[in-house]
Amino acid sequence: MGQTLTEKILSRVMGKPVKAGETIYPVPDLMTVHDWYVVNFDKALIDLGVDTLYDPNRVLISTDHEPVATNPASAERQKKIRQIVRKYGIKHFYDVGRGGLGHIFPMEMGMIRPGMLVLAYDTHVTNYGAVGCLGIPMVFEIPEVLACGSVWISVPETVRVNLTGKLKAGMTIRDVSQKMIVDIGEDNLDYLVVEYGGPSLNDIGFGGRMTLCNNPLEMGAKSALIESDEWTVNFLKGRTDVPYELQKSDPDARFKSVHDYDLGLMEPQVAAPPRPDNVVGVTTVAGTPVHHAFIGSCANGSIEDMREAATVLRGRKVHEGVRLFITPATQEIAVKAGEEGLITEFMNAGAVMTAPGCGPCAGGRIAPMAPGENSINTGTRNDPGRLGTREGNVYLASPLTVAASAIAGEIADPRKYL
Amino acid sequence: MDFVYQGKCWKFGDNLAVDADLTKKEFASQRETRLEVLRDFVMCGVDPDFPKKAKPHDIVVAGRRFAQGNPHIQGLLGLKSLDLGFVCESIPRGSYRNAINAGVPFMTHCWGVPKECETGDDLRVNFANGVFENLTRKTRVQYKPLPPELLEKVAIGGWEKAVALRIASMRAEGLMKPAATPAG
Repeated sequence: MGQTLTEKILSRVMGKPVKAGETIYPVPDLMTVHDWYVVNFDKALIDLGVDTLYDPNRVLISTDHEPVATNPASAERQKKIRQIVRKYGIKHFYDVGRGGLGHIFPMEMGMIRPGMLVLAYDTHVTNYGAVGCLGIPMVFEIPEVLACGSVWISVPETVRVNLTGKLKAGMTIRDVSQKMIVDIGEDNLDYLVVEYGGPSLNDIGFGGRMTLCNNPLEMGAKSALIESDEWTVNFLKGRTDVPYELQKSDPDARFKSVHDYDLGLMEPQVAAPPRPDNVVGVTTVAGTPVHHAFIGSCANGSIEDMREAATVLRGRKVHEGVRLFITPATQEIAVKAGEEGLITEFMNAGAVMTAPGCGPCAGGRIAPMAPGENSINTGTRNDPGRLGTREGNVYLASPLTVAASAIAGEIADPRKYL
Repeated sequence: MDFVYQGKCWKFGDNLAVDADLTKKEFASQRETRLEVLRDFVMCGVDPDFPKKAKPHDIVVAGRRFAQGNPHIQGLLGLKSLDLGFVCESIPRGSYRNAINAGVPFMTHCWGVPKECETGDDLRVNFANGVFENLTRKTRVQYKPLPPELLEKVAIGGWEKAVALRIASMRAEGLMKPAATPAG
């Protein structure tokens, strides 16, 4: 019996063949933690009597949830983070203004490569699957990983998704991705790794690949990754000198299920509150008033997303009743957006640019909504409270649909704006 | 730890939220983990009197997506505080881990279990071998128990105790430096 790509990665880490269902303690190639948990893990380690990390060279900390401190307590937390980084000798520290969103910039910097295993304090580390790395979220047990080097995981089964067809005008990978997780269904995703392949992968760039690896988490998947291909090699060219191996699942690998999924959706998709799987065609919710809009997050903060938003916003004005926030996810994306003139176009349209990082999606600490308001945005989740207040409605959509809705002042079909 | 729990059945539906149904939602942001505090609010979102009615070794039975929502541990620690076990049709991955971290015996992927019992039935559940008995109905169903290595963590009492043992064992084997300062 052959192995899935996930089994191969975990077998490499364990130094012996492993198969789905086994409980293992893999030492990851990297562990990542974001700014809102550093003080907490330090306290947990002190309580455990631990004052050195298993390997501080494998730890990455990014200040992305609140890159701009919004009050003195936040500034104090950032100060403590710097002290904690020094205390443990953590090698990879990306402070304010140094990297941006930790689920993206390490790929841009070539630190994340095909076949790696990363454990992280944050669910959306699965983004690393865009370059064929297995990113697995941990929450409560991250202090154990930091202290002991590993924590138990069950080797997951894999659901294979072969992408076919072409996107139609006005549709993006976000539309496909959020519809697809519903169509494939929670029962086919729960505890599983989603592995993407198929003939249409060639047409999908960095942004789309991240979106594909980001959305399944919301339906219970353990992780998601894309089998490495020519795109991966080209992406990593000039970003890393470290050799890596391109791997795929064996032809006789056992998948829990295999799905062909056609990119040729007929209508843009919106996830209505209160759950990411409450997905409807945009025409169903068109006309809903919008007060708050946001383009960014680890799901849709890439340069491709910025370019898509610009196709709608170019030469137009954001509706007077709407505030539109745009967050290029990383320093690199912000620089590119500036070089390409996109930021000028966004500002001329009346949008507000925010610092690279998670943007409002991190609990609404930055640019929240008020009670009674509706937001449409490209964030990851739409449960009550995601953007600050529990008394607001959050709709999730593609950058095209969000931009069109910001202009219209109500949820709008972007195809009318292209 | 005795993995056979015999007590009353408390049956709930699908999609119980780990923060708002299983406990008071503020406890997550307050990072409250004291069992004596959590005890009075177990299942408060669906039955505020539950802590007064439930007895040790009673069994919570639920449908799909039990303890869904952001993977906070407080709701699971609440079940631990009353010494309850649970049996459900599904549980999101984060709460699966947190149930083990909290030291709560449970079984998941027990499809159809809500049809096997009603609130008030006398149940006997062996979490080690997966046997679910309804003593009121005189029925018996075999489910798949947790893997032994994860049950062992539950038996130890959850994450904090298990990781303390792991650290001690790694230090004894020379795999980890001793601390310059003792545990605080």
